[in-house]
Formats: sequence, C-alpha cells, structure tokens
Amino acid sequence: MPKLEADRVLHVLLKGSSARPGVPAVPRFAPGDRVRTLNIHPYGHTRLPRYARGKLGVVYWDHGVFVFPDTHAHREGAKPQHCYSVRFTAEELWGPDGSPNSMVYINLWDDHLEPA
Amino acid sequence: MNGAHDLGGMHGFGPIEREAREPVFHQEWERRCFAITLAMGAYGAWNLDMTRFARETMPPGEYLTTSYYEHWLHGLQRQLIEHGFVTLEEIEERVDALRREMGHAQT
Repeated sequence: MPKLEADRVLHVLLKGSSARPGVPAVPRFAPGDRVRTLNIHPYGHTRLPRYARGKLGVVYWDHGVFVFPDTHAHREGAKPQHCYSVRFTAEELWGPDGSPNSMVYINLWDDHLEPA
Repeated sequence: MNGAHDLGGMHGFGPIEREAREPVFHQEWERRCFAITLAMGAYGAWNLDMTRFARETMPPGEYLTTSYYEHWLHGLQRQLIEHGFVTLEEIEERVDALRREMGHAQT
C-alpha cells in the first residue's frame, strides 16, 4: 500500500471533494411535479429517511446532477442522476400530529421517487 | 439501512442541550480522530458515502449512548480494518499498551 503523503492531504483539503460528477443526466422530474417516495428498507445505505417512505411530496427545486449515495456507498456505481429538494407537509409525514403550518424539505434523488 | 442514525420522528430523547461558546472539539482525541478521518479520505481508499455507511452500522444501543466523534471513530476503525490498513488485533494491542502506560503513570 502506498504511503499517504502530507501534500496529497493538503491538496484534497484545499480543493475539497465534490459529489457532482460533472456529467449530464436527464431529469425525471421538474419543480412542481407531484411525487411519491418509494417504500424501501435496504440493508445498505440510503438517503431516504424512514419517516419519509411511501409519502407524497412536491418537487420544490432541482439541485442538478449528483452521484447516487445509495449505490456509491457500496461501490455499485456512481449512477449520476438529478437530486431534488422535495417538499412534504408535516401532516403527510406525521398525520394529524403534524403541525398544519410546517413543511419538511428533503434532498432526494431520482431513484427514490416515482410520479404521483 | 434502518439503523439508529435515522432518528427523524423518534420521541423520548429530551431537549437538545445548547452550550454557550461550544468548542469545535471537547477532547483532544476528537481532534485527532477528525484529522485522521479527513486524511484517510484524501488517501482515496473509500468515498464519503462509504464513510457514512460505516458509521451507520454501529450497533443501535451503542450508537445512541455514544458521542458524535465516537461514531466517527467507529466508522474510521471499521474502514481501516475492512481495507486492510490495520487489524482489530493491532488496534486492541495498542489500546492495551496505552492503558498499561497510563496505569504506570498514575502509580
């Protein structure tokens, strides 16, 4: 195994590392689209929180193309795709216990969503 | 994975304690743990998402009763072992040696 040189660390710290792969991908959704999150319970990594699975939301913002953490965390490919800010009402997430004035915005990827 | 890290919507933890002038690190080892984690990130043997997953695999009881940087330490150790940089036995030997040194220093 090659030795880790201090210069290399400095370079990465100064430059940072990016989750934007710099390749284009066709978005499946646009702001304003109604979406439903998948009801998935993978044993591996996922950025879709438990409380937001199988829920209806609205695409609020398209952040652009990012690597897909759910597969990237297991060396199953970067799967570049659009990541969106998806807005959920608190009532959709928590039922009658949710405050009617609250919204939750979650950054989710194309592969977490289906059209609704 | 449905691990202890996915806390959204869970009840019973009580209020979040706010510290006046909260320091970046509460203990010196946290500073070292943070630095080694970033340095090993720069090495490139794994990516950020793999790092997150390594922390999430901490057993739930342990996760909920340990601090933020203990989660980082767990993830770092797991990845160092998985990728063959160090063995669990080597880490444990070192911990035992340090414990002995500290024991001697106190007597």
